[in-house]
Amino acid sequence: MHPSTRRSLEFVLDNLVWFMLLFVLMVFSALVPNYFQPGIFANIIEASSVLGVMSIGLALVIIAGHMDLSVESVAALSAMAVGILFCSAGIGMGVQLEPDWLAVPVSLIISLAVGGAIGALNGLLIVRLKMNAFIVTLASYIWVRGIVLAISGGRSAQDLAPVIRWFGVQRLLGLPLTAWIAITCFVVFSVILGKTRFGRHLIMIGGNENAAFRAGIKVDRILMTSFILAGAIAALAGWLLAIRTSGATANLGMGLLFNAFAAVVIGGVSLKGGVGALPGVYAGVLLLSAINTAINLMGLPATSTQVIHGLLVLAAVLLDTLKLSIRQKLA
Amino acid sequence: MQTAVQPADGPHRTKSFEPLLVLDDIRKNYGAIEALKGISFSIGKGEVVALLGDNGAGKSTLVKIIAGGLEPTSGTMLFEGREFLAKSPAEAKAAGIETVYQDLSLATNVDVVANFFMGRELTKRVLGIPVLDEKAMESVVAKAMASAGTKIPSLRTKVEHLSGGQRQAIELNRFVHWGGKLVLLDEPFAALGVEQTRRGLEMIRQVASQGIGVVIITHIMQQAFQVADRIVVIRQGVVAGDVARRETSPDAVVAMITGETLAGAGPAG
Repeated sequence: MHPSTRRSLEFVLDNLVWFMLLFVLMVFSALVPNYFQPGIFANIIEASSVLGVMSIGLALVIIAGHMDLSVESVAALSAMAVGILFCSAGIGMGVQLEPDWLAVPVSLIISLAVGGAIGALNGLLIVRLKMNAFIVTLASYIWVRGIVLAISGGRSAQDLAPVIRWFGVQRLLGLPLTAWIAITCFVVFSVILGKTRFGRHLIMIGGNENAAFRAGIKVDRILMTSFILAGAIAALAGWLLAIRTSGATANLGMGLLFNAFAAVVIGGVSLKGGVGALPGVYAGVLLLSAINTAINLMGLPATSTQVIHGLLVLAAVLLDTLKLSIRQKLA
Repeated sequence: MQTAVQPADGPHRTKSFEPLLVLDDIRKNYGAIEALKGISFSIGKGEVVALLGDNGAGKSTLVKIIAGGLEPTSGTMLFEGREFLAKSPAEAKAAGIETVYQDLSLATNVDVVANFFMGRELTKRVLGIPVLDEKAMESVVAKAMASAGTKIPSLRTKVEHLSGGQRQAIELNRFVHWGGKLVLLDEPFAALGVEQTRRGLEMIRQVASQGIGVVIITHIMQQAFQVADRIVVIRQGVVAGDVARRETSPDAVVAMITGETLAGAGPAG
C-alpha cells in the first residue's frame, strides 16, 4: 500500500469518531426539526459534562490496559457526600461555612478525597495484590453504591448551597461553568496523556507492560496513579452531577457507567489497552449527547433511549473489532 | 586473575583479543539434575559468538544466568575484568548486558521514537511543565539509525506496522545507543525471511564492529557460520567445542553437537 494512502487511512481511523460526530450532527440538523440552532449545540455540550469527566478517568485506566467499573458508584458517593453536607432540604445537613464561598473548595476537596481513596484501594488490590481489575472494581461498583444507599437511607438531599450551584448557573460564552470545567479537564488530561512522560509511560504499559517494566519504567507506581486519578476524576463528575441536579438521590447516576464505556469505546479507545486518545473520547461523549438530544427533540419515549444506548455500545465494540482488523490489514 | 581463566579462551585467539565476559566453571543444578556442569568460555569485545547445541543442552539456562534471569549454583563471571553476577535482568541491563527477545521489549502500540526512548524520554519545559521533547528525540533516533545504516520509512510509524527485521533493528540500535556492551540474541531470526535474515546478520556484524560483544543462540548452522567469529557448542551441560569459525567446518560442529567426536574441542569441564 502506498504510504500516503496508509497515512490518510490511519488518520481517518484515528479520528473516526470526529467524522462520525460531524456526520450525525449534519444528519440530525437536516432531518430533525429545530435541531440546527446554537442553543441545541450548547445544550449538547452542557449535557455531556458529567459523562465527559467520568469518561476521562475510565479512559485512562483502560488505555493503561486495565478496567474501572467503580467510576459510576464513586461519582454517586461523591455527589451524595456533597449533597448531605451542603444541601438544606431532605437529608441535607445544610452546613454553613464562613465565608460561605468556602463551601466550594471544601466540597471539592471532600469529593476528590473520597474518590481518590476508593481509587487507591482499587489500585492497591489490583497492582500490589495482582487481583483482577474487572472483579475488584466490580466489587467496588457494588459496595460503593451500597454505602450511598446506607448513608442516605434511600432518601434524597435537595437544595444545594447557592455558592456551589453558581457553577451550574453562571454562563461564559453561552455555556455554564460546569461545561467549561469538563472541557478544561479534557484539555488538561489530553496534554498529560499525549505530551508528558507519565502519559507516554501509561500508553506503553497498556501496549506491553513487560517491555515497559524491562525498560525501567515504574509500572506499579504509574498504574497506581492511574487508578487514583480515575477515582478522583469520577468524584469530580459526581460533584458536577450534584450541581446539575441541585442535590443527590440514592440512585443518582445509575447507568452512567455504561454510557461512559460506550463513549470511551466509541471514542477510539481499545479495550485491549494501549490505544486511544482523550480528544476522541470527548467526541464520543458529544456523539452520545447529540443522539440523546435528537431523541428528545423527536419526542420519542424516554424508554427508547436505553434501547438505543444498548445498541450503541454493541456498535462501538463491533467498531473496535472492525478497526483492529483494518489496522491488521494495513500492517 | 586473568591468567587463571586464560585456558578457557582456547588456543585460537588473535593477539588483539580483549575479554569482555569470562565465564569460569559455571554450574547450575535443579535438585539432583545438573543442567550446567561447569561451563567456561569467554566473549571478547567486538566478538560474535554463536552458541550452538541441541535442545536441552543448557544454552537457555546459560544465557539466563549471564543476563541475570537465573543465579548459578556455583562459578564466577568476570565482566570487563571485574567479578560480576547480575541478580536481576535490570541489574544486568544497568551493567550493559541485555537479552533481546523478539518483540518482548518493544511496545508495538507506539512509534519508533517512543520505543527508542522508552523510560528515558527527553523533556523540555513549556510554561514550567515538563513535556516530551519530540523533536529532540526524533533527531537523536534519526542519527542513531543512520549511523547504524538502518532504514525505516518513518520514525513516527507505530512499531506494530514494521517488519520483524525492522523491529529487531530498533531493539539492537536502542541497545547500542544506550551503552550496551554485551547483547544476547535468542534465536534472532526464527521468524524472519531470507532477505531480512541477511540484513539482520549484517547488522550484527555492524554492532560487533563497534566493540560490542554478541552472543547468538541459534539452531541454524548456516547462520552461525555466516556471522560468528567463534562457535561454542554446549552439549549435556558442558562446553563440547570452542573453535574459531575459520578453523572448523559445519560437519565438525555437527559432530560436536551430537557428540560423535570432541575433535577441536576446548576444555570439556
